[in-house]
Amino acid sequence: MAAFENFDSIFLDLSKESGKCRFAENGLGWKPSAGGNTFTLDRGDIAAAQWSRAAKGYEVKILKRSSEIVHLDGFQQEDLERLSKIFKNWYSINLDPKEHALRGWNWGKTEFSKAEIIFNVQNKPSFEIPYSEISNTNLAGRNEVAVEFTASNEDDTGTNGHLGGARGRGKKSGAGKDQLVEMRFYIPGTTTRKETEGEEA
Amino acid sequence: GQNGTEVKKFKKFESYKRDNQLPPKVKNLEIVVDQKNHTLVLPVMGRPVPFHIHTIKNASKNDEGEWSYLRINFLSPGQGVGRKDDQPFEDASAQFVRSLTFRSLDGDRYEEIANQISNMKKEATKKEQEKKDMED
Repeated sequence: MAAFENFDSIFLDLSKESGKCRFAENGLGWKPSAGGNTFTLDRGDIAAAQWSRAAKGYEVKILKRSSEIVHLDGFQQEDLERLSKIFKNWYSINLDPKEHALRGWNWGKTEFSKAEIIFNVQNKPSFEIPYSEISNTNLAGRNEVAVEFTASNEDDTGTNGHLGGARGRGKKSGAGKDQLVEMRFYIPGTTTRKETEGEEA
Repeated sequence: GQNGTEVKKFKKFESYKRDNQLPPKVKNLEIVVDQKNHTLVLPVMGRPVPFHIHTIKNASKNDEGEWSYLRINFLSPGQGVGRKDDQPFEDASAQFVRSLTFRSLDGDRYEEIANQISNMKKEATKKEQEKKDMED
């Protein structure tokens, strides 16, 4: 392997601008194409990595040892093999391919992982909500939970205008022109019934 | 499934089979109405999430100062609406996404999206009814 592996047109944490992502033996870096500060991540900070379809293309989602999440979106499908080697050889981490639910169903099971709430449809994640994005939750009804997100203007990224508009903690819902401000869940009453999640009709 | 008797009434529907079927516009992290696939694709923390029209109850737009809000309500238990065979309400442990609310400075766009959702819903209801009539 070369000393570096570069990927262009990659978006860091829902950044406005794309940038160059560079992997090296000791970690990775991302720099906006237009110039500016560079984001770096030491290999020792990487706890796990996942490969999925995202908005711009395919994403590498990294779970840091500190339980924070780093999103790198905009990879091509064929980058998977190269990236798997990078993560395995340099970081001793498996880049796990994770398929998301595309059925379009609104029922499933919530799962509470280290860094985020995962809503699973038929045992596949449909979407994830990092805990750092939640501003408030309340019991809106007997079986209804409301989760609120901090609405932030497009220029309020939480990264002081650095990193090409990458979104800091609690600012992810403001990344696009359609900002998610609230999500409500129906949660059935506690049941002793054995879980039947993932049953095919 | 094993308990086919329990959920047999529920008719399966599916927005997409493969991720390359997602509309290209999802890259803008915006709400996309995909009429062709009877699906609404919503941006949730940077991920495009499909919701089939059969899961949607209605959509409404409200204004508050310079902001417009689009609330999408989904079918879920305990609302007294939605036919039983549309969803596996028999699975007592299933959790449901009940609503999602977005805000934007472009109120006209939300008006249009709300209309598109209502039309898609009407179309789907009509088709279902026609199917039912044929079966009877």
